[in-house]
Amino acid sequence: MTKRTTTHATFVIERAYEHAPAKVFAAYADLEKKSKWFGGPPEWEAEHTMDFQVGGREISRGGPPGGTVHKMDGTYWDIVENERIVFCYDLLLDATRISVSLGTTEIKPNGAGSTLIYTEQGVYLDGYDDAGQREDGTQQLLTQLGAFLST
Amino acid sequence: MTTTTNASFVLERRYSASPQRVYAAWSDPQAKRAWFVEGEGWDIQSFDIDFREGGTETSVYGFRRGEEVFGEKTVFSNETVFNEIVENERIVFTYSMARNGRRFSVSLATLEIKPADKGSRLIFTEHGAFFEGGDNVTMREQGWQELLGKLDTFLAKSA
Repeated sequence: MTKRTTTHATFVIERAYEHAPAKVFAAYADLEKKSKWFGGPPEWEAEHTMDFQVGGREISRGGPPGGTVHKMDGTYWDIVENERIVFCYDLLLDATRISVSLGTTEIKPNGAGSTLIYTEQGVYLDGYDDAGQREDGTQQLLTQLGAFLST
Repeated sequence: MTTTTNASFVLERRYSASPQRVYAAWSDPQAKRAWFVEGEGWDIQSFDIDFREGGTETSVYGFRRGEEVFGEKTVFSNETVFNEIVENERIVFTYSMARNGRRFSVSLATLEIKPADKGSRLIFTEHGAFFEGGDNVTMREQGWQELLGKLDTFLAKSA
């Protein structure tokens, strides 16, 4: 019988990009652009669908061939063009839901560029020990975003 | 220009009702409506609940003191999605609040029900994104304190 426990954690990451808010926002709003920076290592088999509107769903699924399938399954709860995105998602490892997380992305003008502030507030379920992996993974994604914006 | 405050709170309460009864107050539509939606100063326009993982709950209610407090006729709506349900033990849900159609917060809430001496212990944790022009986290915490008090009254009445 599963022992039911929860752990709650919040992290905030701030990044500066030398690109205007509209360009940063577009990298989130357009699936073709987003697929170029959002996701696991290139050798993972992956699929990614997105309906970028309030109430719309985004699913990103991937993993090493023959290995654990990582699935992010979420819904958009607030979108303010060029300014704010609020998204709530489940993370599943194979069939097990390990967490539910609320992600807030704010994009603020900073001179000719932008400051991006990402806040994630989450509940981790039934003994799953995140040990900072989610925050590390997010740092990696935001670095990938920066590389994409500069192409 | 948008502003957002992300904040969290935890509330804990004891009830002299079994975990099954506490859980039923959340899962049964009539019960939920009675303690969560009905209240003095509110005109309920609609309440719909589909209590299952991925299901939704929507309530729309007129605030009788709208003109006094906001200077206009005021209707609030709450849209909830149930992310995870473990019978008698845990409910994880996401909900937004809107005033006159404009969303002012999105929150991730976890409700845990644990057996305790002579009843249950309820732990309610909310992680919220609070937007410009709306509630702040202190007001939200107070709101839930009141609701968990109403739950207590409801459970005692229907014992």
